[in-house]
Amino acid sequence: MADKANDPVAMWQNMIGEMEKGFNSFANQAMASPEFSKAVNQVGGVTAGAQKQLGDLMEKYLVGMNLPSRAQMVSMAERLQSIEGQLNEIKAMLNAMNSNAAASAGGYAGAPKPPRTKRPPSAAGEPK
Amino acid sequence: MNASAGLNVAGLDLALIPDRIQSEVQRAIQRSIKGVEYIASSGPSLGSTPKDILAARGTMNLYHYRPVADEIYRVPILIVMATTNRGYILDMVPGQSFIEFLLKRGYDVYMLDWSAPKPEEKSLRMEDYVLDFIPDCVRRVQLDSGETDVTVIGYCFGGVLSLLYGSIFNDGPMKNLICFTTPIDFREMKLFSNFSDRRYFDVDRLVDSIGNVPPEMILSSFEMLRPASRAASQVQLWENIWNDEYVKAYRMMDRWGTDTLPLAGEYFRAITKDLMWDNKLFNGTMSVGGRAADISRIKIPILHAVAEHDHIVPYDAARHLITKVGSTDKEEVILKGGHVSVVAGANAIKRLWPKLDSWLCERSI
Repeated sequence: MADKANDPVAMWQNMIGEMEKGFNSFANQAMASPEFSKAVNQVGGVTAGAQKQLGDLMEKYLVGMNLPSRAQMVSMAERLQSIEGQLNEIKAMLNAMNSNAAASAGGYAGAPKPPRTKRPPSAAGEPK
Repeated sequence: MNASAGLNVAGLDLALIPDRIQSEVQRAIQRSIKGVEYIASSGPSLGSTPKDILAARGTMNLYHYRPVADEIYRVPILIVMATTNRGYILDMVPGQSFIEFLLKRGYDVYMLDWSAPKPEEKSLRMEDYVLDFIPDCVRRVQLDSGETDVTVIGYCFGGVLSLLYGSIFNDGPMKNLICFTTPIDFREMKLFSNFSDRRYFDVDRLVDSIGNVPPEMILSSFEMLRPASRAASQVQLWENIWNDEYVKAYRMMDRWGTDTLPLAGEYFRAITKDLMWDNKLFNGTMSVGGRAADISRIKIPILHAVAEHDHIVPYDAARHLITKVGSTDKEEVILKGGHVSVVAGANAIKRLWPKLDSWLCERSI
């Protein structure tokens, strides 16, 4: 196999790695200045405000077009999550209700909780 | 002597060039095939260790992982996740899951994971997290396990919340505290500190105008710490796309890394003012809901694991934790790796997890 120092592929990978480090380091120095903070916060503040206004406008537009807005989609996703959560709760309740009956059939709910008697390997004389 | 290895130009054995070209051509073909597969398929299923949800309220979700050992340690573990990210970083896939590791080693594991605050939950405050959600989860863990003592493990900002909880409820029931990459000196998070410079960053205007802080803003502030890394990682992905293991690991980390949660507006305001601006946790002047939260009041055994190459929480931001807490049984371990790889990467399997087990097993009986 070719020496790694002379392998073109390894050299390319090394170059990418070095470029990444160099650019990150340069950018970090630039971003540590108060001027950067001032500029980014001015832009960020304006952008956040504009995004909010645009979002409000878009919401009105989508309602007008009889289409679901982002907020409604997020709300639907949250409702789905909530339904999943409730399903989990129902599952847990069913498991609890069937715990005795399920004991013979196996399954988690039927399985007894393991005893809290475990000792550290050193105390129990086991190798770690 | 090997005749084919005779001609050597600038250290490059010319006889090996045809093999190298063949191998690169094969990889190029594989890249094209796997590249299409990559786009067409979804990533691996994450966070699939069997668990039951014990409670879900507001942004709080409390899970109990089903024990797998025949015998478990007396003291249960409650993991408190960072509020910006999802808990499945600690439960990636079988063989690379911290949760699975703990279960196999005989621990009883619970996790406090967070969901995105709804627009109407923008008023959730630090008090809700420290004085309500965490104590509520601890109570539920006590009830479910039948044990009074609880070990708390906090990852990143989950560690900060656990420290605040532990300093306020310093007379129990937390028995042990383990923090992963937890900052306490926020001045030393130099770039974040500069981004939120009080002279230029109007947190009140931001929170008052947009409510919850959107995940895109949080993600971009993380990515700005290493602005070239995303592009470089895409190049590396393309080079290694023939390698299924690399692609699997990339997809897991990429999905988690971009699955950032929004932060409740009032909670973000408190973080900015109390921690980023006034550095109150470090100065010992922090309070939550009018209750003093001085970490020197924490007296329980504590382990702090920090990463040598952490670009999010640099060592200088984390190193004072151990000196500031009031515990006598305390230890800091500095491990190779970055902010995420130290807890969830291949190195974590070899380094952090066994270290944590050897420290915790003695304190879990």
